[in-house]
Amino acid sequence: MPPRLTFALIGMLAAISAGAAEIHGAITVAPEFITWNTASPYDVDTPRRSSRQDIELKLQDGGFNAQGILRQQIAEGHSPEYHGIANQFYYDGTLSPELGWTAGKKVMAWGVGFGFKPLDVIQRENRRAVNPPPLSGVPLAAVERFSGTDAWTIAWTRPGQGAGESDDRDSAAALHWYRLVDGDDLHGVLRVSHRRQLEAGVGATRVVGDEWSIYSAALYQGRGPMRADGSFAGAAIKAVAGAQWTGESGTSVLLEAWDDPDAPLAAGTPRENVLLRLAWDDRDGCKPYADLLVTPRDGGRVLTVGASWEGNRQRFTLGGRQSGGRAGSAYAEAPSKRILWAEWRLAIF
Amino acid sequence: MSERLLLALLFIAPAALAADSVTALLKAADAFRLPAESVRVETHVELYKNGTLDKERLYTVYVRPGRRSLVLMKSPSEIGQKVLLLADQFWLLMPESQRPLRITPSQKLLGEASTGDIATMTWSDDYDGSVTDEVDCPQPPSGVSEAPAKAHRCLHLDLAQARNGVTYARVELYLDKASKMPVKSDLYVGSGKRAKEAWYFGTPVDGQLRIMTMVLLDDIQPNRRTVIRYRSIVPKAAPDEFFNPAALVRNPLTDW
Repeated sequence: MPPRLTFALIGMLAAISAGAAEIHGAITVAPEFITWNTASPYDVDTPRRSSRQDIELKLQDGGFNAQGILRQQIAEGHSPEYHGIANQFYYDGTLSPELGWTAGKKVMAWGVGFGFKPLDVIQRENRRAVNPPPLSGVPLAAVERFSGTDAWTIAWTRPGQGAGESDDRDSAAALHWYRLVDGDDLHGVLRVSHRRQLEAGVGATRVVGDEWSIYSAALYQGRGPMRADGSFAGAAIKAVAGAQWTGESGTSVLLEAWDDPDAPLAAGTPRENVLLRLAWDDRDGCKPYADLLVTPRDGGRVLTVGASWEGNRQRFTLGGRQSGGRAGSAYAEAPSKRILWAEWRLAIF
Repeated sequence: MSERLLLALLFIAPAALAADSVTALLKAADAFRLPAESVRVETHVELYKNGTLDKERLYTVYVRPGRRSLVLMKSPSEIGQKVLLLADQFWLLMPESQRPLRITPSQKLLGEASTGDIATMTWSDDYDGSVTDEVDCPQPPSGVSEAPAKAHRCLHLDLAQARNGVTYARVELYLDKASKMPVKSDLYVGSGKRAKEAWYFGTPVDGQLRIMTMVLLDDIQPNRRTVIRYRSIVPKAAPDEFFNPAALVRNPLTDW
């Protein structure tokens, strides 16, 4: 959507509903510096230095919600680019106290997991992206039913669009079921689409004592990922399992393993991954962390360290990521060897 | 009646009476913070560092019977975040992901202002214990009190968690002997370490004394002081379906 149109639309709606609406705005500046791997066999066609500047507006009035971003993207050797993004634009309506409906473009995330969420069959999100911008929702129409411990959502995503060139552009019918049973979160998903045909999955999260949570999820896909020749791989199963410990001191340790059959064809990386993450919350707004992702099959590894600090209205984030590992592994041959990033975000109102 | 039964009654009956008495004391103390079973609370939190105001946060808290609370973060930097507490189970919704995350009791303690301190406003459902002694009421340290405290006698209660998932495993509570209004509490985490001390200050509201200010002194970060001001506490019963974890993604609660 053109930038002026996005903001004109949000501004108009803001003006119409000024009395009762909640309006929030924020500015984000996110520079990034990449050191390229000159030994990589892959082509490198991305600038070394770039920066994303966002002006973000959020509006909520009753069931109406809108989130839009006016973005300036600057990159070494390129002219600045300007984009208007309507991240979300939807209405949550009510048919009865337990029955609701949604129409519009909305972020709808159903997954279980930290680094990988196989049950996210609607909101497909790259959980390993460096300093990602706010998510953009998916056009959909949905009906949701809630009771004390149960919830059902039936959604039609990208209605009328037909077959898309990728999973996140493929029209689909999807269902999410949630139940709270004896303290366990249980999830089930079902999705029918042109590309993947039938997808069905289940997941669960359990809290053990005061400090541990364990979780797992698996998704069956009637068709695997698309090959280079346009054909589809056979049926596949995506799976994740993990555990997290958080102590009184604010220290937390997370260990997660997953199997992603899409990874070799989509990203050129092995399907099996193990993630170890250490994090600390100083209870004063400072949150440093470090995580190590390894691919046992080829000995690749990715080390990420970062920290964020949150003030009254501002948040600073700094981070760095280094890819490497055994010679010949996918991450050792990745085109980006090192990425450094920062982000400053100011909540204006 | 056998002699054994008589002896057993002699020992058990006073203990049961003491427990009833502590429960009654805690219910009386709770009434100073929570005037009804279902309420909406507008909370303003000031975070001081070395005596200087560092951050301010706004929360709307919906409390329902059955140890159910829903916390909506309202500050510009936190807008859209929600925390749901259902007895000893907790969920966090971050607006970036729109995904309710199950969190552990220890994660509930994290953050600048602990969600447990904001959302939990009663002791009687969560703690058992005994009155250990009667003492002169403790006096708040300088800089904490908004007015000099009068000399009173206090009941000193030693409370242990009666359920899983409470924010603090043990609480030493001082209640004004005459009114049963909370004066001070020492809050201990599971390891036995004291994490915070809390001071309670009453204000007359509609002719009744209510606790409208709570000051928390952090033992782990002694340069920090948190002032929690209850701007309004209104009887209000948010619908049951708002307390479903999956519903966190859709209910703005703007009309509630």
